[in-house]
Amino acid sequence: MLTNMSDVTRALQSIGTDKNPNPEELLDLVYDELRKLAALRLAREQSGQTLQATALVHEAWLRLTGHSGQHWQNRAHFFAAAAEAIRRILIESARRKARLKHGGDQVRLEIEGLNLAGVTADEQILLVNEALERFKLEDPEKEKIVVMKFFGGLTNQEVAESLGVTERTVERQWAYAKAWLFQKIQNEK
Amino acid sequence: MTSRQHEESLFEAARQLGNKAARRAFLDQACSGQPELLQRLESLLSAEADADKFFTVTVMPPGELAKRLADGKLEPTPAPEADDRSGLAEGLGTRIGNYKLLQKIGEGGCGVVYMAEQEKPIRRRVALKIIKLGMDTKSVIARFEAERQALAMMDHPNIARVLDAGATETGRPFFVMELVRGIKLTDFCDENHLNTRQRLNLFIQICTAIQHAHQKGIIHRDIKPSNILVTLHDGVPVPKVIDFGIAKAIEVRLTDKTLFTAYEQMIGTPAYMSPEQAEMSGLDVDTRSDIYSLGVLLYELLTGRPPFDPKKLVQDGLDEMRRTLREREPQRPSTMVTTLQGEELTAVTEQHAAELPKLISILRGDLDWIVMKSLEKDRKRRYETANGLAMDIERYLNNEPIVARPPSRLYRFEKLVRRNRVMFAAAAGVAVALCIGLGVSTWLFLREREARQRAVDAEQKEIELRQQAELREKITQVTLLVNQEKYQEADALLGKISFTQPTVEGAAVLRSLGEWQACRGGWKTAAEHFSKLLQVDQLDSWDVVTLDCLECGPALLETGDLEGYEHFRQAAVARFAGTTYPVADRILKISLLLPADQKLIESLVPLAGVTEQTFKTTVGGANEDSFRAAWQCVSLALVEYRRGHYAKAADWSQRCLAFPEFNASRVATSHVLLALAWQQLGKTEPARAELALGRDAIEGKFRAGLDRGSAPHGFWFDWVFAQILLREAESLIPAA
Repeated sequence: MLTNMSDVTRALQSIGTDKNPNPEELLDLVYDELRKLAALRLAREQSGQTLQATALVHEAWLRLTGHSGQHWQNRAHFFAAAAEAIRRILIESARRKARLKHGGDQVRLEIEGLNLAGVTADEQILLVNEALERFKLEDPEKEKIVVMKFFGGLTNQEVAESLGVTERTVERQWAYAKAWLFQKIQNEK
Repeated sequence: MTSRQHEESLFEAARQLGNKAARRAFLDQACSGQPELLQRLESLLSAEADADKFFTVTVMPPGELAKRLADGKLEPTPAPEADDRSGLAEGLGTRIGNYKLLQKIGEGGCGVVYMAEQEKPIRRRVALKIIKLGMDTKSVIARFEAERQALAMMDHPNIARVLDAGATETGRPFFVMELVRGIKLTDFCDENHLNTRQRLNLFIQICTAIQHAHQKGIIHRDIKPSNILVTLHDGVPVPKVIDFGIAKAIEVRLTDKTLFTAYEQMIGTPAYMSPEQAEMSGLDVDTRSDIYSLGVLLYELLTGRPPFDPKKLVQDGLDEMRRTLREREPQRPSTMVTTLQGEELTAVTEQHAAELPKLISILRGDLDWIVMKSLEKDRKRRYETANGLAMDIERYLNNEPIVARPPSRLYRFEKLVRRNRVMFAAAAGVAVALCIGLGVSTWLFLREREARQRAVDAEQKEIELRQQAELREKITQVTLLVNQEKYQEADALLGKISFTQPTVEGAAVLRSLGEWQACRGGWKTAAEHFSKLLQVDQLDSWDVVTLDCLECGPALLETGDLEGYEHFRQAAVARFAGTTYPVADRILKISLLLPADQKLIESLVPLAGVTEQTFKTTVGGANEDSFRAAWQCVSLALVEYRRGHYAKAADWSQRCLAFPEFNASRVATSHVLLALAWQQLGKTEPARAELALGRDAIEGKFRAGLDRGSAPHGFWFDWVFAQILLREAESLIPAA
């Protein structure tokens, strides 16, 4: 854990210097952290406890930096990378399940009056991701907001810090992005 | 502010207005005159509440996220595109023209293939291929359009039809094809452990498909395993050739070396490319390039890999790759399989359902010869047609002598015995019955008579086959002599052959020797060869056959055989009347070397119409072929002259002379035609001037000696053609 921690720290610290870390490398390191943490929680069999992405990301961050007093700017990079890592893991597992035709026993989304009711978690993830791919082509900046909000479960403030914009901007753009994406998803279904 | 930012700020402003009526009023005012924007904003705003719920509620059960994170895998990043602008922006569900993308079904060096739904005019599933490279979409589509009519004429169970082409919103060209739900040819054969015979039967079907296309004047140019998909129809495998017309449409200028990288990406692997394609010398790619690629395909079907290692070809670089394709003789298939080792060997024997020694003995001999003849470096020595190749494989499968192999006595005897095993057995049975002899029952007597009848039939069949084999043998001998440039001997032998049926190889030797005789002034023999040629060239493409006509006409006239020419031109008109195929101008030209009667001219009018139409649609267009267009002017000038429309004849001749490319024979012919027209219009002085120009060029050429020639400098028959018209003009126009 210690060596790994220093890897992530080093990668994060080098952001903004001329030895910028490879974003893929950072992602791998961050994911490694998340996976270890998740495994730890599962081993303790804290079943029934809702482990939200947001809690996971925060906890991972604390474990990583508990004593080292990292600058918050680095925290922003970490959050962005963590959200992206979660996104990719969820998509990968959703696709794998879709291929294996598993997931028939999954809980379905039931919201009264919503004509997308009945979607499973995997379907939700894939639908959002597909719409997001297209959104990205038109608006790469806002795509980052969606990844951090939807997959990373981060607060507007955290997203704002991460992107170096105001909270108000995040709130506005997230509202627009949601409407845009939802409409696309609805048209597809 | 971009239109998107504008839309966003309006969305935000309207969202803040809680009151529906206020929102409505605000939007009406902000979007006045922009109904589309208004509609978009209204639907975005109405989606807002549901969107909020959708993105907030997550149905991931407790613990599930942790579980997935713990044993998950990072989805690999999508491969970065070499050029972002060339990246594919079309996601699933996107509409392109009348098509809606449903599912990605393949991706290659050249593009991405989607299953799509066509909505209009009929609802059906199609395959839609979007070309990846940054290419000049306009000219791609123009090239496709030029071939569209010919593509539409293709109708064959083993060809996937090409239906449409167009440009996406991002400006990349796409093609729409019949959707084939099949798997790659080589995968199909290997997965199903097809033996050699089964593989050959599939291959024969592929040859018939290619032959069909060639007859319609379409060359595939990119035959390789991934362009042949096998589907099962009631359990019977049916190969389908896809991507017809696409390689041609997206071809980059092959002479331009800088574009090679692009070309390589597009074609994927040069392993299936013929030496002349790889050379990119500007030499026209013709149907025989497809024959080469078929040869590579056959090689791979038989041995498990193409003759040259695809990876190595690419690694070696352009020059080395060309040298390999041009000079290196590939190993024979039977030799190639002996070099296989380890896993590869196991895989091949398993996939072919045959042990190595058996596989070697199957390949050695006929199949080696057939493959090697298809892979000849010099295209003149390959099979002339895909049919010729298929026929030879059928002969092999029927234990008949093949064309590819110079037959020896022993070889033919072997074939005879193998072919007639059944008959020998029957004859032996008869002999035994006769030995038992005297007390024969009626039953035995009948058996004997039946067997004798069979023997007689077999003998007759055998005689027939032997005659055919002898004929083929002689043709092969002539071919060999021609290849060794022993024309004298070849010609003597050719004179002894009596042709009884259409033959590709026979036509080829008649053509070469006819040309040889013509260039040395042996007009009588040349005319005989060409006349025979027109009796046996039915297996060749129209392009070739009309060229044969261009050779025959002048040869007949040079022997002074007016009756023969009359007969020839009637036959040519009958054979090609009503064709819309763009070789009409050749028939016009060749039929009007001498003045003609009203009836003949009438029958040529439709061909003149077609020619003029083709001329109009190509000249000045993106797809202008000025070489063809200029020759079309010559034909049209001649038609008008024969019809007595002298002013029009003069006009067409002048148009022909206005083309910037210089082709000596064509220019000389136009001067002569213009001279004729002006004389008829009473302008003797200018007529004399034109005549002098034509005469100088033509006489100069014949003084220098006639050779076979070439398209840019004029073939021998172009010059003879000019000379015939020159004689007519000399007798019409009085000397000063």
